Amino acid sequence: MKGALVGALVIAALALQTSPFFGRNGAGIDLVLVVVVWAALQFGPASGLLTGAAAGLAQDVLSAGTIGVGGVAKTLVGFGAGVVGSQFIVANAMTRFVVLAVGAALNELVFLGLYAVIERRGFDMPWRQAGARALATAVVGIALMVASNAIPAFLMRRRLRRGY
Amino acid sequence: MLEIHRRTGYLLLATLVAQVILISAQVRTSAGTRVLQAVTFGVFSQVQLGTAWVFGGGRSVWDGYFGLRGAHVENLQLRQSLAQVQVKLLEQHAQALRAAQLEKILDLRERTPLRTVAATVIAGDATGIFRTLTIDKGSSSGLRKDMAVIAPSGVVGRIVEPPPLYAAKVQLLIDREAAAGAIVERSGVGGVVVGSDRDSELPLDLQFVSNLSDAKVGDRLVTSGLDSIFPRGITIGTLSLVEKGVGLYKRIGVTPAVDFAEVGAVLVVLDPPQLTGPSPAGGAFATRPPAPTRPTAPAAGAATTPAAPTAPLQPGGRPSGAAGPAAPRPAPARPTPAPATPPASPTPPAQTPPAQTKPAQPPPAQTPPAQTPRPPTAQPATASPAPPGRPR
Repeated sequence: MKGALVGALVIAALALQTSPFFGRNGAGIDLVLVVVVWAALQFGPASGLLTGAAAGLAQDVLSAGTIGVGGVAKTLVGFGAGVVGSQFIVANAMTRFVVLAVGAALNELVFLGLYAVIERRGFDMPWRQAGARALATAVVGIALMVASNAIPAFLMRRRLRRGY
Repeated sequence: MLEIHRRTGYLLLATLVAQVILISAQVRTSAGTRVLQAVTFGVFSQVQLGTAWVFGGGRSVWDGYFGLRGAHVENLQLRQSLAQVQVKLLEQHAQALRAAQLEKILDLRERTPLRTVAATVIAGDATGIFRTLTIDKGSSSGLRKDMAVIAPSGVVGRIVEPPPLYAAKVQLLIDREAAAGAIVERSGVGGVVVGSDRDSELPLDLQFVSNLSDAKVGDRLVTSGLDSIFPRGITIGTLSLVEKGVGLYKRIGVTPAVDFAEVGAVLVVLDPPQLTGPSPAGGAFATRPPAPTRPTAPAAGAATTPAAPTAPLQPGGRPSGAAGPAAPRPAPARPTPAPATPPASPTPPAQTPPAQTKPAQPPPAQTPPAQTPRPPTAQPATASPAPPGRPR
């Protein structure tokens, strides 16, 4: 059940991210990463790294890059987020935002770093764009997480009101 | 799932490794090969290297131990072959030395007017006590007892004991029982050269030379011919030690001209010494006859060594009184007028017969055919019998 949910979320994230709605470049937001961090915070580091590996590989397969680079990056992010979620209380939005921001930055760093190594072109990377993308991902991600927590609560309150 | 949670680290590692492998399968190196291939080849080459090392070590162990069963036999064969080659090499070396010695002998034989027989040394002394050699010529070649044996560089010794047919024993001059009449070539001072008993010092001593006589270090010592064995003028050696003695005589050490350790071929002089004839020519002989040219020749030496006539001479031996001497008593030990005779002085007819220069056929009454009649002055010495108990 848990795996299916996470899989469905990853597929949905990939679908949204690659849809024309977000433009050809996905509007610079990594929705798959948001799903990975959420799964890691919800289910722990093992689920986070598996989700990250699967989602990253899926991204790599769908893109024109080297298969495995995104997988490694998201594996590390999922594992790290899972460890943080299991060691610290990350229930409030601000903490989750930090985790999302750091995770997005780590993802960009590993992703671009691996490509720098593979292509042997040094670390002359678009760090500013990467930072902006990470920040945007964190903002959208925290919004989605807050919404994901608010929606069940809203539905509960509505059900209770109808009962009275 | 719970186990996976417990092994999250391993899971992370496996996931990362798997993806790294995946990446490596796609990325190419600068050489154009895929990283996975390069890494796989590199890693597997190390495995191959280790495998080769293991198998190489095993083969080395096999070749070094188990495979050496045949090497022992081969080693023995090689050692045998090496020994044979070494023996052949030694034989070749010995033949080369022998050829060189024979060349010298031949040269000496051509230069000396003496009638000689060339012989080869075939053995050394059996006991190690006496200095003797065995040569390959005997009585069948005309050799007789007391014949002089010389080498290109000087006196070697004399034949002791009546030789058998095909061998003869030669007493070296350095034997402690040997002696020979000698004179200093430069001054004509006479004496008796004897073998030294002291192996570590000079092997020859010149005895009965007065403290007043003229003898210096570096003087050449030649035979005087007065012992009736060695022809006159053959080099004996060089004076290496001249000291004033305790008594009447000098203490003189002589370095022999012959390297007795290297003697391989010799000449046996068939002719007895001529006391008044011309001196033999050749490298081993003195360049000038001492007696005719030096008035102080043996007679003068004898005159300056008054104790010589009274020396305690054994019959036919050394005057030391030790066990029987080998060489006859030399002239300086006896007042014989012949060596001191000036060139103008008359010579006894018996000493200068034509047969002495070519003594092929001595008178029937004489002793061995190869020997000429000995001078009267030397006759008592050569005729002296060996004392009883003499080693040879």
